[in-house]
Amino acid sequence: MAAARPMRLFRNINAKIAAIPMVLTALVVFTGGTIWTVVYSFTNSKLLPREKWVGLQQYERLWGTERWNVAIENLLIYGACMVVFSLVIGFVLAALLDQKIRFENTFRTILLYPFALSFIVTGLVWQWLLNPDFGIQSVIQAMGWESFDFDPLYNADIVIYGVLIAGLWQGTGLVMCLMLAGLRGIDQEIWKAARVDGIPMWKTYIFIVIPMMRPVFITTLVIIASGIVRLYDLIVAQTGGGPGIASDVPAKYVYDYMFQGQNLGQGFAASTMMLLAVLVVIIPWAYLEFGGKKRV
Amino acid sequence: MARAVTTQRKVIATAAAWTIGIAIFFPILWTVLTSFKTEAQAIADPPVWFGFDWTLENYEVVQERSNYFRFLMNSVIIAVGSTVLGLLIAIPSAWSMAFVPGKRTKDVLMWMLSTKMLPAVGVLFPIVLIARFLDLYDTHILLIVVLMLMNLPIIIWMLYTYFKEIPVDILEAARMDGASLRSEIIYVLTPMALPGIASTMLLNIILAWNEAFWTLNLTTTKAAPLTAFIASYSSPEGLFYAKLSAASTMAIAPILIMGWFSQKQLVRGLTFGAVK
Repeated sequence: MAAARPMRLFRNINAKIAAIPMVLTALVVFTGGTIWTVVYSFTNSKLLPREKWVGLQQYERLWGTERWNVAIENLLIYGACMVVFSLVIGFVLAALLDQKIRFENTFRTILLYPFALSFIVTGLVWQWLLNPDFGIQSVIQAMGWESFDFDPLYNADIVIYGVLIAGLWQGTGLVMCLMLAGLRGIDQEIWKAARVDGIPMWKTYIFIVIPMMRPVFITTLVIIASGIVRLYDLIVAQTGGGPGIASDVPAKYVYDYMFQGQNLGQGFAASTMMLLAVLVVIIPWAYLEFGGKKRV
Repeated sequence: MARAVTTQRKVIATAAAWTIGIAIFFPILWTVLTSFKTEAQAIADPPVWFGFDWTLENYEVVQERSNYFRFLMNSVIIAVGSTVLGLLIAIPSAWSMAFVPGKRTKDVLMWMLSTKMLPAVGVLFPIVLIARFLDLYDTHILLIVVLMLMNLPIIIWMLYTYFKEIPVDILEAARMDGASLRSEIIYVLTPMALPGIASTMLLNIILAWNEAFWTLNLTTTKAAPLTAFIASYSSPEGLFYAKLSAASTMAIAPILIMGWFSQKQLVRGLTFGAVK
């Protein structure tokens, strides 16, 4: 043990050197870039960033803009539905697959295919499937159900749900695979014990299996959440933010103000708000995850 | 499943699962089918399923109009480049975190991962400024570096979980035999973690291949990859669905084919290493 000590110190130095590029990256690019954006959100930069401080003016304007409020509302609806539905559907599919069906590997690959496609392709394909004249609506009407009416992309009130369908199609397969991995990790003895005690299957899932899968749920939630924050490509490809501004999302708002509206300060303020929103979610989560682990 | 599963239940579950599988695969199938139709058949009401005159016309038009192969090359260069660069940085980092953990390792790891949650628009403008300043706008190098940075947290996290499973004793044995740190990583750790590295590579290639936010914003023509190629078909002519389908099929085919032949890596990679 005594001989190992200098070795350990030496290895630690090496380890630190090995980790330097990564730490630098995270520090310079993410933290540096984000701080820069936050600082310039207090200026009235137009076409180019400049240091003319205007305090909270950009933020007042931001919250006074209807388009921003629509964008926030859309993101909240999309986010909440995405989390709930993809978890529920993903879990049910995983429980179904856990019965050891045939050709399981092929099935898994097919369910994961949508996730391997870009949001751009997903958006285009669904723009078309949801088109009332050639898509699902026309197919079902052709099958004899004449009054079938489903054209979310042309209805400002429900357009975000049209986007949600495409999002679910893309992401649920992934959730299912993660859940399946979690289910397979559950000790078979637990199932046996539950059966011996005469606990019905659904109760075993809800009260025993799901609580045991907490880590899997957390991983899945993080992946879903990072997808929600990034919601941009899908909107651009599927609806372009329309009809009107009905399917706008914060990322698109920021982008439009920065590059089309030539109002950088406003874009920076909006992205700072997004950052704040993310922090509100991340900090309690990180605290629970880590704080918990450290105490153990 | 050790739990007794009756044959009947198995059949029902299989049938149900496959119905869902086909429903999920349907949009992809329809896109591929439509790409072989004429524009008139593509928007026929009621839709034609298989009984149409198959044509390659759409593919010819798309290739002629926007040189598919140039976009394809750009996509390959960017995806492979950012993956290789990312692995070169990530392997040493993941090694240090998995085998020489310090007090702060967990914190650093969580911090890295949490950056993935930050909205990308927040760092968009600084990066555009840096790109213009270095005169790198619309170049492969810029996209390789930016996409590598964006995916680095995920690569490191995945490699870390794979490295964690390798017994330290083996690395120590190599060291006892006088292997230097470099050869320890290159000749002992890397080969042992190869399946994990392969899945990580595949995931990263797919993520880079599909990345649209950065590629659309940091390129104009020279370095534009396939995402820009499809995006260019989305708006102006709106209703040319057969051509749009051909363009989409061309853009997704490489991923679908690659994924089919490496199903195991695909599933492992896309689930971030959760499925072993």
